[in-house]
Amino acid sequence: MAGRRMDFIYDYISVTTFWTILFTVHALLAVALLGALTHQAASVLMPVRAANGPANFVTRFRSVHGAGYATAVCVLWVITFLFGAWIYTKYRIQIRIPIEQAGFWKTQGVFELKEHYATIGLGLLPIYWLFWKNAREPKYDAPRKWLTVTLAAMAWFIFLVGHIVNNVRGFGS
Amino acid sequence: MSSVTRTSAPAAEASFARSETFRTFALVFAMATPVLYVICDMMNWPLFTYHPGTNRLDLGFAPAVKNEGPAMYWYGWTASTLIGSAILGSLATLLPEKLANRIPMSLVWILPIAVLPVLIYSLKFFWRW
Repeated sequence: MAGRRMDFIYDYISVTTFWTILFTVHALLAVALLGALTHQAASVLMPVRAANGPANFVTRFRSVHGAGYATAVCVLWVITFLFGAWIYTKYRIQIRIPIEQAGFWKTQGVFELKEHYATIGLGLLPIYWLFWKNAREPKYDAPRKWLTVTLAAMAWFIFLVGHIVNNVRGFGS
Repeated sequence: MSSVTRTSAPAAEASFARSETFRTFALVFAMATPVLYVICDMMNWPLFTYHPGTNRLDLGFAPAVKNEGPAMYWYGWTASTLIGSAILGSLATLLPEKLANRIPMSLVWILPIAVLPVLIYSLKFFWRW
């Protein structure tokens, strides 16, 4: 398995440092994904129709060209998912067991829900990509809008739960 | 001299995005994923079981082995779901175009929301005060 093949790394850095780096990369990828999806969701929920005076921060935030984000969102979701799946092997033994011993059942429950939605999100990516690549097709306007908002809501939930679960034991523990 | 016609990546991407076959596949794949995932979760149908303590994989469902740590099913549920959804998506591409065009597109975002109560119920073990 990948874990055993990567053992040579432990000659250079500690086990804790290795997993902390993996987790940090996973978190940074998630931030990039969250930013892209939030921009897109704002652009479909509150589209900028015409310039009405000088643009403020909110106007600039929602006036992005959403189609340009579609491929990046798909790639980021898949890579973030793969990093999460890798970290999950360590989490299951080193984190979940102490969480259960401490009685944080609801925290573990929402983490399970987060994992469910990470997989469901994967399945939505091909049609999400197609909707955005045909952004000029009026028949896709409504499903594109609500699918983007759904994916953004899922990404926010997944991100916040990951953040909360990380806080249970603290960084590097 | 021979001439070589090159298809640029954006042109290939655009033609893929306009493909009716891919549209039908992606539509059914997206609708099948939440439904199949819930079924795999509730029925406990992982394609394989991973034992992180011993780094072992078992085909299908396998219970945790005493003194060898926990068993993980999420990877197996994900694999079962994606393979099942890909099969259903591929079968849907065989539908006549008239029928394929009648698949409601709104289901791609309604179904992931609709399965939320079922997923919360499936995690009832964790909702204790």
